[in-house]
This record gives sequence, C-alpha cells and structure tokens, in this order.
Amino acid sequence: MLGRLDPRSWPITAKVPLAVAGLMVLVGLILSERVLARLADTQERHLRDLAQSYLDGLSSAVAPSMLRDDTWEVFDAIERARDLHRSLRPLETVVSHADGRVIAASDPRRYPVGSLNEERQRVQVAGADSFSFEAGADTATAVRKLSYPGQTVGFIEAVFDTRHLAAERRSVMFALVATNGLLTLVLATAGWFLMARMMRPVTILTNHLGLARSVSAVPIAEDVVMRQRGEFGRLFRAYNALAASMDERETLVKKLAEEERLGSLGRLASALAHEINNPLGGLFNALATLRTHGHLAHVRANAIGLLDRGLLGIRDVVRTTLAAYREEKRARDLAASDLADLQLLIAPEARRKAVGVLLDNGLDGTVPLPSTPVRQAILNLLLNAVAASPEGASVFLSAEVSGHLFVASVRDRGPGLPEAAAQVLTGPAAATPLRDGGLGLGLWTTRRLVSELGGRIEVDRPGEGGTVLRLIIPLRSGEELSDVA
Amino acid sequence: MRAEGSAPPDRRRVIAVLAAALVACRAGASEAAPIGEIRFGLTPVFLNNDLELLARLQSYLERATGHPVRLITRRTYQEITALLTTRQIDAAWICGYPFVTHRSELQLVAVPLWRSRPLYQSYVIVGNDSEARSVADLAGGIHAFSDPDSNSGFLVTRALLAEMGVRPEGFFARAFFTYGHRNVIRAVASGLAGSGSVDGYVYEVMVQIEPELTGRTRVLRRSEWLAFPPVAAPRTPLDETRLAKLAGALLAMPADPDGHAVLAMLRLDGFAREPASLFDAIAAKVDLLARAG
Repeated sequence: MLGRLDPRSWPITAKVPLAVAGLMVLVGLILSERVLARLADTQERHLRDLAQSYLDGLSSAVAPSMLRDDTWEVFDAIERARDLHRSLRPLETVVSHADGRVIAASDPRRYPVGSLNEERQRVQVAGADSFSFEAGADTATAVRKLSYPGQTVGFIEAVFDTRHLAAERRSVMFALVATNGLLTLVLATAGWFLMARMMRPVTILTNHLGLARSVSAVPIAEDVVMRQRGEFGRLFRAYNALAASMDERETLVKKLAEEERLGSLGRLASALAHEINNPLGGLFNALATLRTHGHLAHVRANAIGLLDRGLLGIRDVVRTTLAAYREEKRARDLAASDLADLQLLIAPEARRKAVGVLLDNGLDGTVPLPSTPVRQAILNLLLNAVAASPEGASVFLSAEVSGHLFVASVRDRGPGLPEAAAQVLTGPAAATPLRDGGLGLGLWTTRRLVSELGGRIEVDRPGEGGTVLRLIIPLRSGEELSDVA
Repeated sequence: MRAEGSAPPDRRRVIAVLAAALVACRAGASEAAPIGEIRFGLTPVFLNNDLELLARLQSYLERATGHPVRLITRRTYQEITALLTTRQIDAAWICGYPFVTHRSELQLVAVPLWRSRPLYQSYVIVGNDSEARSVADLAGGIHAFSDPDSNSGFLVTRALLAEMGVRPEGFFARAFFTYGHRNVIRAVASGLAGSGSVDGYVYEVMVQIEPELTGRTRVLRRSEWLAFPPVAAPRTPLDETRLAKLAGALLAMPADPDGHAVLAMLRLDGFAREPASLFDAIAAKVDLLARAG
C-alpha cells in the first residue's frame, strides 16, 4: 500500500503528466501573482489619477467659496463633483478650514457644518496631499491641501469606494484560476496520451522481458518490429537478436544437460559393471571348484550356494537398474519405493567410494508429483553428495510430505558446497550452468528440473559441517492431475 | 404629450432668435437692446435650470407680443432687482420683498395666481428626523435661507425672529444663503442645515416633482398668506407699448395653449392685475425689521 504512495514507483505515463501539471500549476501561480500585482498597481494608479482629477476639479470649484466660507456653494460643488465622478464612487468628501472646522461635507449629518474634529485635523495635517489605498481595502482616502501663496486655506478629504476594484481583482483571479486549471487539465491529459503512445514500445519490450524471466525469451512479432521506426525499431531488432541467441544457448544447454545425463549414466553403468564384475570372479572360482571337486557333495553344495548368492546379487543389481531406467510408457506419480530404488542405484557408487547411504523414507504410497524428474533431481543431489563425502562418511536422504509441499533433503559430511555451486542451485534460472567447466552441470540440471516443477532448492550449512540440500516442491492440485491424466 | 411634442421646434426657434439677437448686437456694436426686443428678467424662483420652461416661456411671449423676447436670469434676486431699478430691462418677475423696498421706483404689472389666488406662504422646514416642534426649538441650529432679498426665503423668518426679539445670527449658530428655494430644500434634506426658510409655493411644487427630496423634510411652520412674487416694471417703462403687450401676453396665458402649457409647468393658474396694496403685509414686515434695527 505504502509502495503505491511512493511517487518513485508510479508509472512514467502518470509521472510525466503529473510533472507537467505541477509545472503548469507553478507557472500559473507565478503568472497569476504577477498579473494580480500588475492589476493592483494599475488599479491604484488609475484610482490615484481619478482621485487627483476629482480633487483638482473640486479644488478649483470650492477654493473661492472656502475663502468666503460659503457653505452652500462648497456643498453644491461637492454634490456636483460627486455626480461628475460617478465612476470614482466618492463615498464621502469633507471640506474644512485650515483649523479643521468643517465647511461642508457630502454627509453633513456625519460632519456637521462648523464642527471641529481634532483627530481629523491632525490626520489632515499629517497627510497633506496624500493618497492612501491598500489593495483589497474597501476604501481609498485622498487628502488635498488647498493653499493660496504661502497660506493654507483648507483641506479636502475624500474617501472613495474601492470595493468594485477588489471585486474586479477577484473576478480576474477566478478567471486566471479557471483558465490555468483548464489548461493544466488539458495539458496533463495530452501529456498522458502522448506518454502512453510514446511508451508503448517500451511496454511491449517490458512485457517480452517479463515473459523471458519465466520462460525463454520470446522474440517480438515481426510486424510489430516493422511498424516501429527510429531508436525503438533498433531496440526491438537488438532484443530479437538477443532472444535468438538466448534461444540458441538454451538449446545448447539442453543438449549439454542430456550429455551430462548420459555421462552420469555412464558412471552408473561402470559402477554397475564393477558391481557385476566383483561377484563374477567368485562365481568363476565356484565354477572351477565345481568342475574339479564337483563330485564332493559338500563342496558342490557350497559352490552352488556361492553361485546362487552371486547370481542373486547380479539379478538384484540388474533389476534395480531396469527399474530405474526402464522406458516409462506413461508418467506416473512418485512412490515411496522410488526412494528405495534410488538408494539401490546409488549403492554401487557409494560402495566404490566407501560412503554409506542412509534413507529416512517418510513417504507413504504415492505423491502427486511426476516420478522421473523428481527421481533424477534427487539422484543428482545424491551423486553430488557421495562425490563430496570423505571416505567412511554417510549421506542421509530423507523425504516427507509436509502440507502441500514435498520436501526431500540430502545431507553430506563433505567440505561444504562451494558458493558458486550453491548459486547455481538457488540463483536465477538463467544463471549460467558452465561457470567452471562442467562441475555445475548436474546441479544446474537439478535446478532446472525443480524449477519446472515450480519448486525451489535451499542450501543449508549446519554448524557441525557438511551441507544440507533441501528440495521443496509444491504438490500438484487435483485439476493439474486430471490435465496430466 | 402635446407640450413635449412641440418642444424641439421651440428650442430651434429660440436658438434662431438668439442667433439673430447676437447678429443684431454685433451690427449695432452696442450693448443696447435691439429695437423692439423685450427684456424680461427672471429671479431663480424655483427651477433655475429648467431650460425647457425658459424656452417655452420665451416662445410663448414672442408669439403673443410679436416682439423678440430675451429672458434674463441671474444668480441672485438683487442682480435682477438692480437691472429693473436701473431700467435695463422692461420687466422682471421679482419677489415681493424687493418690490416693497423699491416701491417708489417700480410698478406692478401682474401677479401670478396660484390655486386661484395671488397668494402664497413661507415655510420653515426641518429634516424629517428633527424633533423640533416650533421655531423656538431651532435655536442654536444651522439655518438655510434662500436669498437675502427673498420674502419667503428670508424676510418672513427674519421678521418672525424679530417678533421673538432675536436676530438670525444670534438665534442660529449659523445661517447661510443658498440662492435658490430648491437649494434650501436640498440643504435641509441632506442635513447640511437643520432648518430652512423656503417659498411655500416652490415647496408644494417640489412635493409633486421631487417627492424623494421633499420627503426627507417636513414643514415646521407655515406663515400667513402673503402676496405672490409679482411681475414688476420700472415705474417709468422703457417702452409703454412693449410693456402693455407683455402684460397682455401674461394675462392671456391661460387662454392660449402654449401659455397654458407654460403655466402647467409652473403649476400656476394664470396672471392677474392686483392692487399694490396686496403687498401691504410684506411692507409691514419690512417696517417691523426697520423698527427692530
């Protein structure tokens, strides 16, 4: 869940449009800020100009009346100026003497004629000829000092309604946000489409590579390659060449594995021959004894007994070999007896190396797994273990079904499995089998067999030395069984 | 409808007449009026900006008298009165107060009839939020007068205060002139002044024309009925014939459709000849003030 939230794990078709959207939002924010700042500037300048013109007009209209203290003319001038400057929206205008006494105001009830407001006077003196407007404020205030040469006659203070300016800024901001939002959405969508289109060859390649991880590399269909031009075309062709060479190598490895099988067969065959050859000397001795001392009853019985036992031993060896290597007419399930067969099979080789093979057979009846690959895999591990074991040591084979898993483990007292060999057993399926000249081929074959059955191999090096190789194969489900049948 | 429909030609005619007058002026190279032109002065009785009214009045008078007519308006009553007493104009519609004070120099031409009588009242108005119940309650407030030469807009209130034994500058904290009855109403309605003296006729007309303005005021006191502002002429007329024609035109106004339209705009019923004694009540107030000093 958290992995999905990490932006690094998002697909590029999402990341690029999101990045575009993010940049657009950033650009939009910066532009909007600039536009609004400029708008506020323009509005203020405009307002200032209008206020100045308002005050100019009013000043020239009221100045003589102020000197005469003509309340009505000043009031009338204020009213006329208000009508003339409707666009400026004057809220209130106060004309006062230099000492702060009000001559007339647009709202006489609030600023009665002749009233003296010391606060107002102070503000007027401090802010003579000032203009104050803050963006977002509801009002702007302008003060004009009227003076005849050298003498202040009075002040005009005007307050203007600026709410419409704030409303204008708001509407501009909404327009900007809406436009930017729409543009961002459109560009992000376009970006998503473009990326999806541009990334299609990559997706094709990724899918093929994904297939190659589980099976062998599958070349990209020729018509798809033909359609693709430019670097992706070259990439596809390069991939197909790679797939072809992988395929060749796969074939080669299979052939090598077959040869290895034959090789191990050869070793077994020679061990078998040795097994048969050993009693043969005794049998010929018995025959020679019979020929010369056959008339002696006890000698004869003794020799015949010898022949009998020797031939029985040979028959057992031959039977086991037959059982192990007979042509399987049809796949059959792994049986408990298969493990006993393996013990018999390995016995000659083990004896040759003076190594004991002990079996802990935990199986009962049959296990729903194909017998041939499982037996071949275990046999390879046993051969390896016997080869690694010092003289007089023992190799332990145990097998059991645990839940839905078939587990077989082979333990030896050898010097420990080399890391490279362990890598072959547990590493990726495509790991090279031939890292040091054929040593790993049997193990690699085992790895392949187990992989094909959907299982895995665990390598364990217990503290007391040696190696434990654990073969873990999931049992086939009923459906698969019926498919096989 | 008829009044509005006929307005444009009248205006055009006014312009033509004015242009002709200008040409005449230039040709004569003199400030004197062209021969036969009637110069009629108007005080800012109520609608001092109503150009349509002026144009129609001019148009009617020109047609009715057969003379070119020039209407002369000034900001104050005093200026018009001065024009009249110095015999620069044939006649003028002035106020009863200057008529009384300049009685020796002037003669009465006609008196307008309002609600069928040559009489009107002076009102003292206050803002409709005012709690004043009588003129005495206005002490210490700000008062708006219309014109120092106006009967209803100054004299009546002034005389009332004199009866109370006070002078405006002592009674009110502050008093100023607005030089127009409508301005008095505006000053009181806006709160610039707490009270005002206004022509009752103008106020009643304004109640009909601009109810939203008068609605912000209420009448505190109505004076007794006084003589309506008259049309007066110099005691020695500039031209007897022209003055007679002008008087005739004024008296005949109700009978003429155009004259009737002008009267309707002025909310007047007509003009009448009245004896000068009609103005005795105003003269009494002037005397009162003279005695009060």
